[in-house]
Amino acid sequence: MTIEEFTKIVESYGSEAARWPAEQREQCRTFMASNAAASTLLNQQRELESLLDQITVPEFPTLESRVLNQQLPKQEASVLDRALAWLLPKNSFSQQLWRPAMLACLPLVFGIVIGNFFSFGIALENDGFAYWDDELTMLSLNEYTENSF
Amino acid sequence: MTDEELMMAVCRGDQRAYQTIVKQHLTSISHYAFRILGNQKDTEDITQEVFLKLWTNAPQWKPEKAKLTTWLHRITHNLCIDYLRKHGRMQTRESFEEETASFELNGADASNYKIKILNQALGQLPENQRSAITLCHYQGFSNKEAAAIMNISVKALESAVARAKRSLRNRLLEEDVKTEQPVENDKLGNGKSDSVESKQRREPG
Repeated sequence: MTIEEFTKIVESYGSEAARWPAEQREQCRTFMASNAAASTLLNQQRELESLLDQITVPEFPTLESRVLNQQLPKQEASVLDRALAWLLPKNSFSQQLWRPAMLACLPLVFGIVIGNFFSFGIALENDGFAYWDDELTMLSLNEYTENSF
Repeated sequence: MTDEELMMAVCRGDQRAYQTIVKQHLTSISHYAFRILGNQKDTEDITQEVFLKLWTNAPQWKPEKAKLTTWLHRITHNLCIDYLRKHGRMQTRESFEEETASFELNGADASNYKIKILNQALGQLPENQRSAITLCHYQGFSNKEAAAIMNISVKALESAVARAKRSLRNRLLEEDVKTEQPVENDKLGNGKSDSVESKQRREPG
């Protein structure tokens, strides 16, 4: 270890060995014991820190009551919180049921609409029947073969 | 109650939880603001604003990212820096000098004189160095936490702390030399060395 490295550690982390990087702590102690300049530097650092500790901050006797008694505005909810509050309202049980149900149906409706307008490369035979009617019949879970064509 | 539980309660609009947090962190936050701003009135205004922000922005605190005290210090730091940029540094420096002037009346021994000089030198440091030394020395944060509060890299913080301490130590050494050689200093004029004067001229504000 060099005096420059020791100086950098003492200036960056202070004079307390406990704050020095753990992997260099022992090295610093050994260096300090064998180097007079390092000891002088550490003593100057200690004196500086001791003087810094003596610079006190004045009392703020009215500050606590001022902060506690200030008018608190309405809290700003995030977009997610507002969405959740809409989805699961606290005051209405019926809304707590139909709103999530409505939201759950959205992907289904979206899938039907997309599937109806795009073939996604699957060639469909146009046998003259209305495809939309067939789709609804299938969705109604009826026996498809029961229908007379 | 843990910080997380208290903050969840604050998010729900619980004013008692808010009051508990204020009581826990008020001293630390006001001391930090004072050491950056250097005067009582601005410190009180900024501290009040910090806790107002705590109330309104409580859902933004992420416990997995930062401790509550770190988050509050970051808010304080940003408000203080904004304030200093808006109002200029002159007012703050004057306040530091007023504080030291009143301090001088209380004691006249060598140690008190050194503290006075040191307080003045602290007030003359650039904001980033003053914040760095305050967070690491007075507020007891680790270098990593202090860097997160100031939104700079750990290396940049360490460099700021080192420069601040070097500058303060040099100021004390200069004072030691001056008190040892008062006659020679009188011959030079006001006793300030060229390096100190030119450094002060370079200081913004």
